Amino acid sequence: MKRTLYVAAREFKATVLTKGFLFGLLILPLMILFLVMVFPKLIKSAEKAPRVEGQVAIIDSTGEIGPALLTYLEPEAIARRRGDLTDAADEAMPDVVKEIGGKRMAEQQQQALDLILGKVPQLEVLDVGTGADIEEEKLPIRDFKMEDSEAGGRLALVVVEAHAIRPRDDPKSGEPAYGSYDLYTADKLDDRIVDEIRGGMREAIVEARVQARGLDRGDISRLTSVRPKTNITVGETGEKKASKKDEIVRFLVPVAFMALLMMSVMTSGQQLMTNTIEEKSSRVVEMLLSAVSPMELMTGKIIGQLGVGILIMLLYGGVGVAGLMVGSLFGLLQVSTLLYAFIFFMIAFFMIASVMGAIGAAVNEIREAQTLVMPVILTIMIPYLLWMPISRDPNATYAVVLSFIPPINPFVMMLRLTSSTPPPVWQVWLSILIGIAGVYVALKMAAKVFRIGLLMYGKPPNFKTLIKWIRMA
Amino acid sequence: MAAAIELRGVRKTFGAKVAVDSLDLTVPEGGLYGFIGPNGAGKTTTIRMIMSILFSDEGEVQVLGHGSALDAKDRIGYLPEERGVYKKMKVWEFLRFMAVLKGVDGSQARGLVKGWLEKVGLGEVEQKKCEELSKGMQQKIQFIAAVIHKPDLLILDEPFSGLDPVNMRLLRDLVLEEHGRGATVIFSTHVMVQAEQICENVVMIHEGRKRLDDTLGDVRRRFDPRTIRFEPLGDAADVPALKAVQGVTGVRLENGAYEIALGEGVSPADAIARLAAASPASGIELHRPSLEDIFIAIVQEDAADAEAAEQLRASVRAGAALGGAR
Repeated sequence: MKRTLYVAAREFKATVLTKGFLFGLLILPLMILFLVMVFPKLIKSAEKAPRVEGQVAIIDSTGEIGPALLTYLEPEAIARRRGDLTDAADEAMPDVVKEIGGKRMAEQQQQALDLILGKVPQLEVLDVGTGADIEEEKLPIRDFKMEDSEAGGRLALVVVEAHAIRPRDDPKSGEPAYGSYDLYTADKLDDRIVDEIRGGMREAIVEARVQARGLDRGDISRLTSVRPKTNITVGETGEKKASKKDEIVRFLVPVAFMALLMMSVMTSGQQLMTNTIEEKSSRVVEMLLSAVSPMELMTGKIIGQLGVGILIMLLYGGVGVAGLMVGSLFGLLQVSTLLYAFIFFMIAFFMIASVMGAIGAAVNEIREAQTLVMPVILTIMIPYLLWMPISRDPNATYAVVLSFIPPINPFVMMLRLTSSTPPPVWQVWLSILIGIAGVYVALKMAAKVFRIGLLMYGKPPNFKTLIKWIRMA
Repeated sequence: MAAAIELRGVRKTFGAKVAVDSLDLTVPEGGLYGFIGPNGAGKTTTIRMIMSILFSDEGEVQVLGHGSALDAKDRIGYLPEERGVYKKMKVWEFLRFMAVLKGVDGSQARGLVKGWLEKVGLGEVEQKKCEELSKGMQQKIQFIAAVIHKPDLLILDEPFSGLDPVNMRLLRDLVLEEHGRGATVIFSTHVMVQAEQICENVVMIHEGRKRLDDTLGDVRRRFDPRTIRFEPLGDAADVPALKAVQGVTGVRLENGAYEIALGEGVSPADAIARLAAASPASGIELHRPSLEDIFIAIVQEDAADAEAAEQLRASVRAGAALGGAR
């Protein structure tokens, strides 16, 4: 046992203390950190983005649009609308985040939003009159250079159709139809300015149409708006306001659990395989076999990789749980779920690890392992592909059946356990029992392949040979 | 004397190929045995069965009084033919790892490692990674791993292959030192000269069967010298006179000296006296058969035809030349 643990310790250290592994382990958290901390600062450096100044020409055959567009595109008006947007974003932000960030955060957010929207452009609206030639009016747009945007010049031309406000009968259908407008803009024009012009045109045309019918705009918006209400769930424990974020989290938790399980199991499994192949190809394995039995060696390596898997689980799982706690959403998880997650992790780990260890012992180099690993990965992917259907209907017959079939039962069961309608307890424990039996069989077979494969050099075995080896010893 | 290793009727097949067949072997405690035989003779398979890395199909294996070497691992040192190191591990970490696996106390291992590294002249590589070492250096590291726990039984599979003459001598002395300490030593080689230099007993294996198992002296005695090497005093000897000497069956010139073959039952001492009288000699000696000669003589018995025997001779010579070159 002492030897086994010593092998395990070496396996763990040899895996974890490599640059590649540490990098792979930390890259995801680091990227998140980068997005949260560094990215806003990078945007800030884009502060020098130039203010756009220019002229929007309009050929308005209705004569009613131009003034309205002018009002809409006034710098003050643009600034005011942006202010509203910020407020809306503020509203949408979860309370927790606001509390944590405090006032400083709100300011930063305001700044960030300013940066995203860019500086308020100075736009001049010029009505060139109905008689103007469209081709001729387009010409100045060509000269507009975005690189020299503060120099002014014509950046867009709007041509309003005559029936934009009062409909005329469509020649085909005979039904009354409204007209629209054509928009010509300079090449590479900032799309935020194009959006402003579009918004202004829409606003002006709708306003004009409403007035032409003798209606009141305020009335219409009052008539068409219904204040949205969140639903209140009525359950055994009482009534509770449902919230969008709860729904999202509830939707993501099962797949997060499954992905976590899969990631930790596959990473450590792969490492077990590559380390075994390395021991074999570097011919150190027979040296080891003079000191430990193949069984001790395999057990030690598996225990070492178990440590690696648990490390990954704790690191990522810990980040996830911490995230839920910050969002005061921890209530969505039950402690029993975490316990089950651990049990199923162990089952999945031992199953995959024994398969990967056996493959590692059977082949001579990584390249040869690919053909044997591929079916394993494809099998493990099944629960991934069935994630959506299973989480929608966790107690469907196929979901129940799949949660009893090793080696995918831990993954499927984890999906079902964390879904909105968890499976009955007997199914969970049946799945665990089947899992343990599966682990026993997998370890037994792996031990045989391991002991024979370790000293077999030459032609890489196929599945037929592996089965022969299992029968042999 | 108690037997360190006892094999009885051991047989091992790989598919249709019989690697080792009905092998009986007793190695007494404190013995120094050489396994010789050409490549593919079954030496490594035999050693692996002794180590319980492979299991025999038939027969019985006893090692240090146990039914399996697994039960006596801490008392056995093994340098396999397929040997390697953990490339990324530091030399001293690797050796400590191996030592602890073989039952050396963790706190003592570091000191032992240091002592051994200095002994083989590798004191300065302690902190280097194993992959930075040359093949010869790695081989010495592997040898240390085999002996660091002071085994009672030391099994070395082709320990000298790939070493330069200086390191070969160093390793030979270390092996003899281990033997002097009281360890039973078994080593295999396909280079007969090496066996001749070290071992007390030789076990010759050919095509999976044991063909010879005796002390080196007895083997030589048994393969009675029937050749006398005659170096003439002048440029050439009086060949007809030599041929005329009683008991001489043939005279052959080889590299400026004459190989004189004697007939059955002729006393070499008498023949030498008569030859010296027949023609003046600058040197005259009994040509002692090398293990190589003996091996070839033995194998020739079963070689069906002369051509096969010649092939075998060539393959053994090539092995010897290779060993000599190293």
